[in-house]
Amino acid sequence: MCGLAHYFESEGLSTVLVGFIREHIEAIKPARGLFLDFPMGRGMGKPNDPEFQKKVIQSAFELLEAETGPVLEDFPEIIPVRDGRMGYALPPELVLNKDDIGDVDELVAAVQREIDALLPDYEAAVAARGRTTVGASELAIKDFAPFVSEFIRGEIPKSPRKGLPAIPLLKLVVEDLEAYYTETRTHRDGIDDLELMGKWFWEETRAGRLLLSLEAVSIVSENKVMLQIVEMSLMTPRFWSEGPLPGSSASGW
Amino acid sequence: MTKISEMPAVGRGFISNLELPTFDNLAWTTPVPPNQRRISIVSTAAVSRRGDKPFSWLAKDYRTFHKHDRDLVMTHVAVEFDRSAWQQDLNVIIPLDRLDEMVTDGEIGSVADMHFSFMGAADPVTMEKSAREVAGQMKQEGVNTVFLIPI
Repeated sequence: MCGLAHYFESEGLSTVLVGFIREHIEAIKPARGLFLDFPMGRGMGKPNDPEFQKKVIQSAFELLEAETGPVLEDFPEIIPVRDGRMGYALPPELVLNKDDIGDVDELVAAVQREIDALLPDYEAAVAARGRTTVGASELAIKDFAPFVSEFIRGEIPKSPRKGLPAIPLLKLVVEDLEAYYTETRTHRDGIDDLELMGKWFWEETRAGRLLLSLEAVSIVSENKVMLQIVEMSLMTPRFWSEGPLPGSSASGW
Repeated sequence: MTKISEMPAVGRGFISNLELPTFDNLAWTTPVPPNQRRISIVSTAAVSRRGDKPFSWLAKDYRTFHKHDRDLVMTHVAVEFDRSAWQQDLNVIIPLDRLDEMVTDGEIGSVADMHFSFMGAADPVTMEKSAREVAGQMKQEGVNTVFLIPI
């Protein structure tokens, strides 16, 4: 982000950026930067709060009045994060082994029942918002769990999507599945709490269990990409944990 | 303030080990007055219009979207950021509605037609060619101010 700002600025465009890691803005020195002490994923702070969002933008645009730079200011309001983590993190001890998975058919059926039960509220959420973020994978919702289950059974299936191999597609399906659940609940229950949503999806739903099973299989997979996804915390939310990461005695990276 | 040194071990290790780009000459373009600003958003959230090619994991290319596009999906490789916020309100990462309101209120001049998205997980140095290409498109559209927003 800060690097991109340099390129645009050198092309004769004035830039202003917002960022979550102050030390990086200090080090890379973009022309104008506003540090936000917010959880990541919330650049304008709060969803459905136009007033707060506009305050962030106005504070950023005030930096365009500076006559010299680089300029780095702090946005005065803080959205607290828990224990220095800027997003939800799975408890390090919540790791499944392959032997814990049990009957995959039963698990998939349980996920399908959850999905069916959530459907009316999901549809209400889409109608109310006029949009959905579900669908990056382009798989039908009913196909999410069966597709994931093939990997849990030790198969690398043929990708049904032309031009996108199976494992990158799996990543998108994992995120689509979570989005289906969280879009539904944030709307149905009027919740805006990333910790609560993370805990519910990953620790309490059968869909979360399905994905933890996928992680368990990936840890012992002979496929290097599957293993790498887990080791780099790209499948399950462990980036903000104290570690160790599954399959490792270290904290990764 | 959330400092890197106070972050949990996994994230702290990753962020501390990132090789940050350095620039010999710090570029500076004097901004135009507020009422002349034509603004384009650059997001590193790896969002794109539904049906566009997904971003690869270390993509150095970019996607474009129109100021009226709202049917966007995200194909960012990382999972460390909260996705539930943008699911609820696109403006929390791409505040097109807020910018429109600021035009109406006379706080800025105009909002560009086209906006741009990159994969924030990739090394920005590899994106230089794409960034300069994007800058060319912006200037053709009369953009003079870029608002960069991470995910």
